[in-house]
Amino acid sequence: MVYSVLCAVIAILTVSMPSSHALWPMPKSLSTGSTPLKLTASQFKITTEFAETHGHSTNTPADLTQAIQRTTAHLQNDKMERLVVGGGAADKSAISSKQVKTINELSMSLVKGAVVRSIAEEAVLPLEQRNEAYELQVPADGSSATLTANTTLGLLRGLTTFEQLWYFVDGEVYTLEAPVEIADRPSYVYRGFMLDTARNFFPVSDIKRTLDAMSMAKLNTFHWHATDSQSFPLQVPGFTEVSAKGAYSASMVFTPDDVQDIVTYAGERGIDVLVEIDTPGHTMIIHESHPEHVACAQASPWSNFANEPPAGQLRLASPATANFTASLLHAAAHLFPSPFFSTGGDELNANCYDQDAETQQILNSTGQTLEQALSGFVGATHTALRSVGKTPVVWEEMVLDHDIELENDTVVMVWISSQNAAAVAEKNFRLVHGPSDYFYLDCGAGEWLGVDPTGNSWCDPFKTWSKSYTFDPMANISDANAHLVLGGEQLLWTEQSSPSNLDSIVWPRAASSAEIFWTGATLPDGSPRNVGTALPRLHDLRYRMVQRGIQAIALQPHFCAIRPEECDVNA
Amino acid sequence: MARTSAFLLLSALLSVFAPVDALWPQPRDITTGSSALKLSGGFDITIAGSVHNAPLDLHQAVERANAQLRSDKLERLVVGRGDADKGALSKAKTLSKLTLSLEKGATAHTITSEAQKPIEARDEAYVLDVPADGSGATLTANSTLGLFRGLVTFGQLWYQSGSTTYSIEAPIHIKDSPAYPYRGYMLDTARNYFPVSDIKRAIDAMSWVKINQFHWHIVDSQSFPLEVPGFLELSQKGAYASSMVYTAKDVQDVVSYAGARGIDVLVEIDTPGHTSVISKSHPEHIACAEATPWATFANEPPAGQLRLTSNETTQFTADLLVAVSKLFPSTMFSTGGDEINANCYDQDPETQKALNATGQTFLQALDSFTQVSHAALKKAGKTPVVWEEMVLSFNVTLAPETITLVWISSADVQAVAQKGFKLIHAASDYFYLDCGGGGWVGANPDGNSWCDPFKTWQKSYSFDPVANLTADQAKLVLGGQHLLWTEQSSPSNLDPISWPRAASSAELFWTGPGQNISTVLPRLHDLSFRLQQRGIHTIPLQPLWCALRPGACDLTA
Repeated sequence: MVYSVLCAVIAILTVSMPSSHALWPMPKSLSTGSTPLKLTASQFKITTEFAETHGHSTNTPADLTQAIQRTTAHLQNDKMERLVVGGGAADKSAISSKQVKTINELSMSLVKGAVVRSIAEEAVLPLEQRNEAYELQVPADGSSATLTANTTLGLLRGLTTFEQLWYFVDGEVYTLEAPVEIADRPSYVYRGFMLDTARNFFPVSDIKRTLDAMSMAKLNTFHWHATDSQSFPLQVPGFTEVSAKGAYSASMVFTPDDVQDIVTYAGERGIDVLVEIDTPGHTMIIHESHPEHVACAQASPWSNFANEPPAGQLRLASPATANFTASLLHAAAHLFPSPFFSTGGDELNANCYDQDAETQQILNSTGQTLEQALSGFVGATHTALRSVGKTPVVWEEMVLDHDIELENDTVVMVWISSQNAAAVAEKNFRLVHGPSDYFYLDCGAGEWLGVDPTGNSWCDPFKTWSKSYTFDPMANISDANAHLVLGGEQLLWTEQSSPSNLDSIVWPRAASSAEIFWTGATLPDGSPRNVGTALPRLHDLRYRMVQRGIQAIALQPHFCAIRPEECDVNA
Repeated sequence: MARTSAFLLLSALLSVFAPVDALWPQPRDITTGSSALKLSGGFDITIAGSVHNAPLDLHQAVERANAQLRSDKLERLVVGRGDADKGALSKAKTLSKLTLSLEKGATAHTITSEAQKPIEARDEAYVLDVPADGSGATLTANSTLGLFRGLVTFGQLWYQSGSTTYSIEAPIHIKDSPAYPYRGYMLDTARNYFPVSDIKRAIDAMSWVKINQFHWHIVDSQSFPLEVPGFLELSQKGAYASSMVYTAKDVQDVVSYAGARGIDVLVEIDTPGHTSVISKSHPEHIACAEATPWATFANEPPAGQLRLTSNETTQFTADLLVAVSKLFPSTMFSTGGDEINANCYDQDPETQKALNATGQTFLQALDSFTQVSHAALKKAGKTPVVWEEMVLSFNVTLAPETITLVWISSADVQAVAQKGFKLIHAASDYFYLDCGGGGWVGANPDGNSWCDPFKTWQKSYSFDPVANLTADQAKLVLGGQHLLWTEQSSPSNLDPISWPRAASSAELFWTGPGQNISTVLPRLHDLSFRLQQRGIHTIPLQPLWCALRPGACDLTA
């Protein structure tokens, strides 16, 4: 009789316990129980124990220590109530029983034989050498949780997961799902977010807040489209005249110290900074300091010379300009520890060069075609970058629209359409998915050009999180080419963005691709990843971001957020 | 020779000085010169002694205006920003005083009381003179409300260069008054909740573009955040959380904050639809509460509508509306009336039983229900405001003074006018700020915003308030407003989704239509940057490169 009552109680508890709504991205392997477990945030300890190997240091790297401190702070400060009707109050009875255990420690270690490096060092290794895997066990009996990994980067990812397990009510930090066992690693090596800091400027503090949000979703690459035709905020040693004349103002620059600050901050959060200096198009602003290097600068009507105002492209046929550009990129490359550097290469306007007397004169005198000149120009810049150990990254036109020589290891970013990924793969280039029809965060905000009241966003409609989430990285890619897909990213072009709307236009939407490329096609139970079960978890991430000061947008009325599936289209 | 150089110099100066880019909404009558004029360090705004018993809210408005002149620090939007004007300022005269006075015979009532008058009785006109020779500037009006509007204009005249606050367009003479008496902004605080501080910031922004009506869609099917004396159970059971409520004190705070800024608060308790959440405290009053599939019972989840055939429900609703109306001094009160779902009532046995018993049709029942609540509001001194379906879809008996909000389509305006009702433009195809944000219902990855595409500021600006109306019908147009429904909004994006776009209708209905759109964008940039200086997180309309170069980023530039 006692036994059957107990059984009934357990059954009720089991039924009332939800599946894990907290984790984003969903781990590759996850099992959870239904036992409540508390954590005393003020006393909780996260410890590290690194075995000595081959005389390497066993000290905890400073950035791992800082990561631990951040996790400890998050456990105390998140104060995240569970998204259910009644909020945290709904769980009070479940966690108030004397039987509920309290966990006091998370013990972290590296697997035997692992070399202890800083997170920042691990985050900028060549892609194939990065190791973000980890295993996390949270027992239900109050004994220590354990987190193990091959690298400090893996430990950081595990800490991020650990933070997402906990909710808050009335001073209590708890989970309802102990024991928790997770074995996790990313499906794709490249999971990024791109920010354009040239159309409008973003102070370092905004970029850091973005890096914080990125790390919450385990993104590992900040693709920094640092300059464009509108402004050149990047101070490049030896080329300071470019930003002196090309930044919006003296205060709207990224000094080498700023870049170092950002790179360090990113590295500590397991994020590599892939900088882009877009060439030879998108460079009008260089005209302000070096008019000799830029064709069709501010030519009008702009639409004959560029996809958006102002027009202006580097004089790629000029040896002096090619040399200047290679030197500029070479100098900029020294600011960034990443193994990658993007030279851009999108939206080249042929008419700009057709109408440029100097370009035509050089082409005539050398007998080169524009394509040949482009190939020589790109070759010069890529050679310069390779000399400092960088692998070039380019936009898709360099491969699909132009006939230029590129080394096989060049990474290609697909942006114009998801349809183009297969063609890039067919050319045997590694690729990153950034298609405008799934991943452009700026689409749908209307025309920004003046005197065009009936104009719409060129890439209408708005890409919802769920539209992005349905992207299939392997669509139309042959099995033989699957290894070429490095991953993907969501992108924010900032014609209509600034610090005012950075958080709200990016988050939580940019977390959508973060899960695609971390979790892969299937959930831990083997079922296909789907928007239906993703939404409650994405709400959870969004509310946790808001708790941490990221102004993430509401995906639905709060009514819906606390009632999973009730606001689905067919509910 | 000397004469020629002087000419050349003069024309060079003229070409350097852009026309006034600063004012939004553009005054109806303005002349400007091309002299530079600085504000003195001790510049002060004073209320003339002839204004007897100047009210506290006018004194406070003067203090705010004085403070903003010092804190705005807005550099002119030209290449080089503030530095570009340094040369012009070296010989500028200095202005040390602006004096406010009322026209002879006018009485100094509070701004608040002037703002809360019936729409057509409000007087927002003012005359502003800023001489070029450094003699005192003057602002005169018939009412403190007019003085307040003039103060807002005065605050937009000034730029910063280094430590100098200046204009380069003195003398300035402005004679201004609004083209339309209703210029609003609607916020939905039920789909997602907005703390009072966010509402106050929105009110600040509204006041800086001379919007005079805050249309507060305060409750809906998702939540009931309003604490209504005598009906506390509604918010206790229906608010998202005990912290997500508007107490009577909060309402008083918002109403007086708005009033002091020349803004009347038009509250809306949407009925009989959009009321599911009332079932949490009063299940007896709600048909089809949270019925599924929601799509057959409502336009969005959750379903639920007041049982309009029930006498108890009708009385409850009328009592509730009267209790709410006592919290708001406005002469208007919106009872909503949009998106009533007939199937909800068809499937509700109680409603069907009542209809069968009385022999009424659903439309007759709706008519009686509405008449009861409107009669109660009328008794409480309120003029009812309704959404367009009450007039166009349901042909409900409405008092002739009832005001209709047109929302479904701008194409419906003419039909409302033909029925002889006063109307407010709020058309989704021009003025809905939430359009273009993608579908928000779950499990629908291919879903888009129902009112796609996004309404840009220029789309809104191109709206013609009297399109397809006869001259007589045009007199029924009280004005218009932008609206934010908040399924996908929260304090996180309130500012960037609203501003500066909502200023588009503010100018349309203050200045009147017909402005040259190519000269509008530079002024809207200017407003947007000034709002940012004042802490409103406005979205950039273009890259800064374009904002500094008027016309360079036009479609055909």
